[in-house]
Amino acid sequence: MKKIIAILCGLIISITLIFPVAAVNGKVTYDGNAKEFIFEPGSAHSPTDLFPDFKGVMPGDNLTQKITVKNNASNDVKVKIYIRSLGATEDSADFMSKLGLQVKKSEENEMAYMFDSSADKTAQLTDWVCLGTLYSGGEVNLDVILKVPLELDNDYQSKIGYIDWEFMIEEYPIEDTDPKPPQTGNNFNLIFWSSITICSAGMILILLFWRKKEQKEQQTPNTHNW
Amino acid sequence: MFGKTKLKIAVISVIAIALTFLSQSTLAYYSTVGKATNVVTSGNVQFIIHEMTDQGTEFPKEGVYIVPGDIVSKKVSIESDCSHPFYLRIKLVYGIDSHELSADDCFKLNIDESNWELHDGWYYYKGVVNPYETTPDVFSHVEIVGSKLDNNYLGKTLQLTVVAHAVQSENNPINDNKTYTASGWPKE
Repeated sequence: MKKIIAILCGLIISITLIFPVAAVNGKVTYDGNAKEFIFEPGSAHSPTDLFPDFKGVMPGDNLTQKITVKNNASNDVKVKIYIRSLGATEDSADFMSKLGLQVKKSEENEMAYMFDSSADKTAQLTDWVCLGTLYSGGEVNLDVILKVPLELDNDYQSKIGYIDWEFMIEEYPIEDTDPKPPQTGNNFNLIFWSSITICSAGMILILLFWRKKEQKEQQTPNTHNW
Repeated sequence: MFGKTKLKIAVISVIAIALTFLSQSTLAYYSTVGKATNVVTSGNVQFIIHEMTDQGTEFPKEGVYIVPGDIVSKKVSIESDCSHPFYLRIKLVYGIDSHELSADDCFKLNIDESNWELHDGWYYYKGVVNPYETTPDVFSHVEIVGSKLDNNYLGKTLQLTVVAHAVQSENNPINDNKTYTASGWPKE
């Protein structure tokens, strides 16, 4: 029995060593039902923080934060997703101005940065930049690279910097020319069946109204004015 | 039951209502904006200097009374108080009533030279101090040199000050395993 436990412990330790703890990705999810964005994982400093890997950074660090932007809207719409930067907050602008920041779409050319500047600036993300058109379940991946200069001195120990980013979606109906979304098994067309229900109810009400009116006309005695 | 005209109106009304609902699905257009406040924090390098006695108690802050020839128990070590590894160096400053003295004037220390290396007046720890670890003792006792302390020192206050500097070891390569070759040591 002890031997089995020892082997199991050995296996667990080996697996732990072979598969290191994965970095945490930032996630931006567009919730089509609620018509809002969900930002994860958040942090003690901000519930919408997308930079879990940029904590306790040290001079000379060159870190990459992966962020996934996902469309969770229903199958009958597509969305265009945009991003823009509002820059660093005023109280942290000095610290952030010392750091370099780059943003690029993971799947594209290594040098095709959509943002490459000091972290306090809005630079190429001052205006809305389209990340792409996403169908239901579609996603786009961003790499955010933070460069901390080796010369950063002791005045910048234990600092906190804030960068505000905005995401925007425009939701469009799926057109005939769009690629067909994968079948999920849920083909319920809410708008169509709601329309049928409301129309049927309207029809019944109209019929009842006229029936009652005709009954009233038949019951009313004829008066003759001579 | 009712006239043909009324029936036509009813049918047209129902079709119009149905078209209104159906057309909404093709004209629908939403725009939503959300804001993410992203945070970058910088780390730090912090440590605590421990001064203990052989009995495991803290060395008294008010000091101890000594006479020439005494050997005072004083164990000095440094504990990391941060989540980043660092290189470390210490300097021992001797003084009498705020006047600096040379070590030979009054104190003799048993420096642990297997872990600490003297370079330009500083003792450099030979390894890396890992997060929340404590170094071996720099020295464990101080001998008061009797031959140097004459009556001129009677009633005086002798001081032994430990000054420590740390510099991050991450992104900071060293040459020949000599920690004094690291970059970023604070200026004296």
